[in-house]
Amino acid sequence: MKAAETVTAQQQSVQHDGDVVLARQMGRQMAMALGFSKPDQALIATAISELARNIVNYASHGTVDAQPVSDGRDTGLHVVVSDRGPGIDDIEAAMTDGFSTGRSLGLGLPGTKRIVDEFDIQSTPGKGVTVTIIKWKHR
Amino acid sequence: MTKVISSSHPASASEAATHANTLSWFDISPLDKERIRELAPVSDQVGDEIINDFYTHILNFEEAAKQFADEAQIARVKKGQKRYFKELVSAELDEAYAEDRRRIGDIHERAGITPTLYIGAYAFYLQRLGHVVLESLEDDPAKAFHLVLSLMKIAHFDMALALETYVGAREKTIETQQRQMSELPTPVLKLRDGLLLIPVVGTLDSYRARSLTVQLLEGIREYRARAVVLDITGVESVDSAVANHLIQTMTAARLMGAKSILTGISADVAQALVKIGVDGENMNTAGDLQQGMELAEKLLGA
Ligand SMILES: Nc1ncnc2c1ncn2[C@@H]1O[C@H](COP(=O)(O)OP(=O)(O)OP(=O)(O)O)[C@@H](O)[C@H]1O
Ligand SMILES: [Mg+2]
Repeated sequence: MKAAETVTAQQQSVQHDGDVVLARQMGRQMAMALGFSKPDQALIATAISELARNIVNYASHGTVDAQPVSDGRDTGLHVVVSDRGPGIDDIEAAMTDGFSTGRSLGLGLPGTKRIVDEFDIQSTPGKGVTVTIIKWKHR
Repeated sequence: MTKVISSSHPASASEAATHANTLSWFDISPLDKERIRELAPVSDQVGDEIINDFYTHILNFEEAAKQFADEAQIARVKKGQKRYFKELVSAELDEAYAEDRRRIGDIHERAGITPTLYIGAYAFYLQRLGHVVLESLEDDPAKAFHLVLSLMKIAHFDMALALETYVGAREKTIETQQRQMSELPTPVLKLRDGLLLIPVVGTLDSYRARSLTVQLLEGIREYRARAVVLDITGVESVDSAVANHLIQTMTAARLMGAKSILTGISADVAQALVKIGVDGENMNTAGDLQQGMELAEKLLGA
């Protein structure tokens, strides 16, 4: 198991379907390097996949930035997924299970919130969306 | 000076503005153009000299030399270089010029000429040109210095244009490769009358999930299948959009009279799907391929 300091911050730009795969692989590899359990690696990969997929589907272009964090007791992976697309008018609605303007399951955002430890979404309509998540190793 | 490329469409006002903006970003003024044009009278002779030196230099390098198939090709490229040089010293720097420099990036990318080769070659070129300028303006070093500075600006402008296109072309190439990868044909195997097996290997992105849908539905029609086993062993990540594709595909299959069974969901994927909120309600699932086949047999028998 490597220490958090040996894992460096990484970025993946997201525009195409293939980038979603690259972004989640990046997250999975960093999680592995940080010593996350296998199920947690899968959860992190899935969370990144959801957020990056939303960029491809609704915002056309954005980035995924991942870096290790520490609060003194525990190590975590901190991921910021942001775009400068149309933004979300009603965040509360978007965070509701089953709400989708893309005729999908509408589980991406609420589901992601359920699988991470910290979740923050900010959006200015017309200016884009920024979602910040943290998954801690031991909680 | 003949224009190399006459643009097929008149440049829009915004393109013209961007172009002007780029020129001022490189701090290129009419004064620079004027200075450079002083080289025009000697351009023929100097051009030939520098270009010959240049090829002697680059052919010393294996990496660069392997770009050339034969003498005839070298002659052709030299001719192109000569034109490039004459355009450089004529310092027209209009949009047609910019377009031509961009095209060079594209050509280089396709020919596999790396930015290192390109920039290195340009640096050599510039350095030789610098010597020529210093020699011809021996008695006015200040003027020579300014001329070299102007040349530097334009050279950087050229390189930026070529590299922008280079990067764009590169991205397109990578995208095509990715597309091809995700189009890896997914085999549709007929196990026995009415029963199909589709093993999905590798990554399942939503593009691939869509093409999987098409293959599965076509397979059902073609083989008059009544049951399909979709095996995703080895797929390491499924998000809600891909799950949605799978659910829709299975629903469509049902409408076509075939039952489908999803097998091979790993424990990690299953756990992630449950937490996201995807329930298995609309899917027939079975643990592994063996169980999936047994379930299919049962469905067919009934
Ligand atoms: N980056 C974004 N920019 C603009 N709108 C977004 C963005 N992300 C999500 N949305 C909006 O929020 C809604 C809910 O997103 P969520 O990911 O929860 O569901 P979905 O993408 O529609 O379906 P699923 O993720 O289950 O396939 C989307 O339908 C879309 O309208
Ligand atoms: Mg989504």
